Amino acid sequence: MNAKLALAILTLGLQATALADEDDYTNIVRQHDQNTGVFWDIQNVAPNGSSQSKEKLDVGGALFQLWTIDNETGRDYLLDQKVVGVYLPKAQIVVNTLDPFAEYPRTRADQPFSVDITVSDLISSLGGLLNLPLAATSVLAEHHLAPYPPGVISLPIASILSGNPLASGFITKNGTTKLNFEHSTLQPAPGEKPFGEEHFVVHSLTDGSIGQTQLASGFVQVWPVATGTLEGIQDGQKIGFNPPRLSVSLVDLYPGSYSYIRVRNETTGAVTALEQSQFVLDEKPTDTEKLMTVSDYGNELPDEGPYTFELVTETPFGTDVLATRRVFVDRVLEVRAQLGGLD
Amino acid sequence: MKAFSKSLVIAVLTTATSIASPFAELQQTPPEAEVGKKPVHNKDLSIIAQSTIITDGTNWTILPKGAVLHTPVALQSKVSKTPVGKLLPWAEFLVKNRAWVGTQEVDMDLAAGTKPVPEAWTENWKKQNMMIVAVYESGPISILPPKVAKETSTVSAQ
Repeated sequence: MNAKLALAILTLGLQATALADEDDYTNIVRQHDQNTGVFWDIQNVAPNGSSQSKEKLDVGGALFQLWTIDNETGRDYLLDQKVVGVYLPKAQIVVNTLDPFAEYPRTRADQPFSVDITVSDLISSLGGLLNLPLAATSVLAEHHLAPYPPGVISLPIASILSGNPLASGFITKNGTTKLNFEHSTLQPAPGEKPFGEEHFVVHSLTDGSIGQTQLASGFVQVWPVATGTLEGIQDGQKIGFNPPRLSVSLVDLYPGSYSYIRVRNETTGAVTALEQSQFVLDEKPTDTEKLMTVSDYGNELPDEGPYTFELVTETPFGTDVLATRRVFVDRVLEVRAQLGGLD
Repeated sequence: MKAFSKSLVIAVLTTATSIASPFAELQQTPPEAEVGKKPVHNKDLSIIAQSTIITDGTNWTILPKGAVLHTPVALQSKVSKTPVGKLLPWAEFLVKNRAWVGTQEVDMDLAAGTKPVPEAWTENWKKQNMMIVAVYESGPISILPPKVAKETSTVSAQ
């Protein structure tokens, strides 16, 4: 790839004086190949114009410096410099969550996750001699938030990234930078739960010859924390031969989650899951709510004594108890009678 | 039951929240503004300091360091540390001093040191009483020390 040299001479400050009479100065473009370290001169270039660089640009790109030297005094001035071509730094973003879902990073609003930003091909210096442009020495990392509006579970990425970032920062060294998030940064409207996406982008910086360029992006989908209610029985309720019908309401279930009513016999320690209460949400759900009714579960209560009913949901992050009821099974028949005789 | 619509609605937070972001750990200003770092300004740089100067006593020209492939003993005085006289661009200086300045066209592999200078070249230069400057497409170019073992004699470039 040949790089086009733009030999536009900047006339700033002292340099404007230097170019007052172009016959008194010699203009030189010195190309420094970033990969091999080779220097190559194009001498006596015109004050304005352009030509193709005849040296092939290698992987590291090349630094072009435009110098002018006073022919009589030998005073030299660096007029402009550009790092061009394939010098652009590389970046990779990996979002790590506790959910093993393979298609894209996914997490729950209350769970930690981390973002690994790996940057390479930044140029730190050339022996400290060169005044390198920002674009060669640093990249800009940004954090964008995109909460889902009600009823929506997907957003166009171009719209997400066109807004102002929540936060940003510069990375100036090659290697991996790990950003640890204790939980989602999504800020829902009052009364709403965090539900949406967090996006991370790395840009190269503009240096005059190259516009700002997106080098890498990554995102994590953030799901809300589930809630649920268990109705039909009350704490401390006594249950006889016909246990009451239970009403279960589950809201904002996590994809792939397994939810059910767990019954613990406090006398024996035995734990069972009520068959009618078991529900597995699809990995790619279109609906995250579930209403169920459970009856005919008397066989799960074989003994007299206390039982604990727990509405639970299991996710990659563990088992969460959404509602609890403690009841007593009491099936002892008390016959009240009087025994009397006829005299 | 709540069902998700297929329609796409755009919603982007555009205001910062109060939650501390791990991004705060990153550098918040461009490197130029780094506290304690002395910025390097263009005015502090010099191409002459990074070059080899050759002179004929009246005029001088500038070459990338490492571009001079061969300098006979008798011509070592032509290499100067400071400019003397008037600067001529390389091509003009070469025309005026053809009697003692010669060129050797090289390719990028040789310039980068990935292949050695052919022994036949060095033998030929020894027979000429000329300074030999490496050029690529007629422009002077630096020659890096060879990175591969070579059986021929080494060439020290200035």
